[in-house]
Amino acid sequence: MALKDVKPTRSELINLKKKIKLSERGYNILKMKRDGLILEFFKVLEEAKETRGEILEKYERAFEMVALANTVEGAIGVKAAAMAVKESPTLDLKKKNIMGVVVPEIESQAVRKTLAERGYGVLGTTSVIDETASAFEELVEAIIHAAEMETTMKRLLDEIESTKRRVNALEFKVIPELKEAGDFIKMRLDEMERDELVRLKKIKAKNA
Amino acid sequence: MTSISAAGSATGPAPYIYVTTRMRVRKSKLLPREEYLRMLNMSLPEITRIIEETQYKAEVDELSPSFSGIDLMEVALSWNLAKEYQKILEITPGRLKMFLQTYLRSWDIQNVLAILRGKSQGMRTGKIKEILIPAGSLDRITLDRLLAEDSPERVVEALKGERLFPVIEREFPAAQESGSFARMENELYKAYYADLIETARAGVKGGRAFLEYIRLEIDICNLQAAFRLRQGPLPEDARDMFIEGGEVKPDELVRLSAAEQPDELIETLQQRVGIDALGGLVDQIRGDAPIHEIENALTRLRLDKMTRISKRNVISIVTILDYLERKRFEVMNLRALARGKESNLPAERIQSYLVI
Repeated sequence: MALKDVKPTRSELINLKKKIKLSERGYNILKMKRDGLILEFFKVLEEAKETRGEILEKYERAFEMVALANTVEGAIGVKAAAMAVKESPTLDLKKKNIMGVVVPEIESQAVRKTLAERGYGVLGTTSVIDETASAFEELVEAIIHAAEMETTMKRLLDEIESTKRRVNALEFKVIPELKEAGDFIKMRLDEMERDELVRLKKIKAKNA
Repeated sequence: MTSISAAGSATGPAPYIYVTTRMRVRKSKLLPREEYLRMLNMSLPEITRIIEETQYKAEVDELSPSFSGIDLMEVALSWNLAKEYQKILEITPGRLKMFLQTYLRSWDIQNVLAILRGKSQGMRTGKIKEILIPAGSLDRITLDRLLAEDSPERVVEALKGERLFPVIEREFPAAQESGSFARMENELYKAYYADLIETARAGVKGGRAFLEYIRLEIDICNLQAAFRLRQGPLPEDARDMFIEGGEVKPDELVRLSAAEQPDELIETLQQRVGIDALGGLVDQIRGDAPIHEIENALTRLRLDKMTRISKRNVISIVTILDYLERKRFEVMNLRALARGKESNLPAERIQSYLVI
């Protein structure tokens, strides 16, 4: 707000005081929101770190198992067993609110299957196929969980960033400018008051 | 050729003598245990070279335009196995041939199921063909004809007249509706074992000894299934997942699968295969070791049992089946060696998966 645009009136000063009060309240709330979001972010970050580790671990296990299955059953046997599964996993997307930030909540269905649901017979396959299938099911589950965590983290980060920008704008621009404008009006009003006093004194002296 | 027709027309022990002699010659050409142990210390290119230089050369050369690398090795090994089995069927006369066809029908089950599953998932014909191993009574031409059909219903129609047809016809509507061919697969294997028992009882030489073996195989297969079923919630139709004809009855197997502790199941397995045969594996199973480790041990045990029976019944079907199984495991061992090396598995671990 350029000072030249400020009308040095008492009503403008009252308006400005109201704006300053509102901005300071908004600033405090946003600061609290930012701190709250940062706290939430660190909580999610911990979980996301764990999920990442889990994915790595499960990825390694799944690939070890598929190598083993290829060794025991051959790629032909593994492909034949993989062909047996028809039902694909489905994802259900829901919304969750963390301090005003809408984050996804992913619910997966038909990722983990029982022996009967996998579509291959017990008599024509060996247990290495079960163990491989179960290792990959666990990996897919971990990936889905990680997707939820990472999207939450990304959304929280975006919100923290924009809240931080708002807090900074209020702290370093809006409130100081409003205060400056208020000081300017006060100064101008004082000056006008002094002018008026001098003018009155002069008139009084002339009349006397 | 003269000898084949002579054996084919002969009655009595002549066909058995002819075929078992040829099988013994073939068995002597299989890779010995020492060769596998030597290969365990080789790199993948060295193993590939050995495979290419042995009896698998023709298949490797034939398939090299379509496949490469480790896939070429695996497909060549499977094709060689299929050709070998087809050749054996060709040289086997009369009733013996019928028995072998029944024995090799497990490959038909595998192939037909692959075609049905592939067709119902809309997979490309080429992709389905990659996983077919025509080692059973349905040869490559028949399988190609099935592959050319445009829907799973047409595949089922085309199977009319085959031994598998009644079970497939019965189970297909439910499988198509649920999208799962698991029950059909189990039913086909159950019918396969029932046929095998019936054919063995029909008067083939060594049939009684074979029956003893097949009962053991059924029990081992059922007990393995019981161990696998224990891993999750017991399905309602668990009883249908076990094969009839073994010493341990399906109802007993369902009870053992549902028991909280595996002790009784392990005890039954010990009673059936012998305590010495399992050795330290029992502790491993109790300690939650992966089931595939015990499966390997049981396969070795089964094969040893068959070899022992074949030595007692030299001129019998068991000698022929012993070769068929040994050949199958040679292919599996070579594949395991190549795949294991490709995946950088340690030699000791690969060795534990070899049936030698």
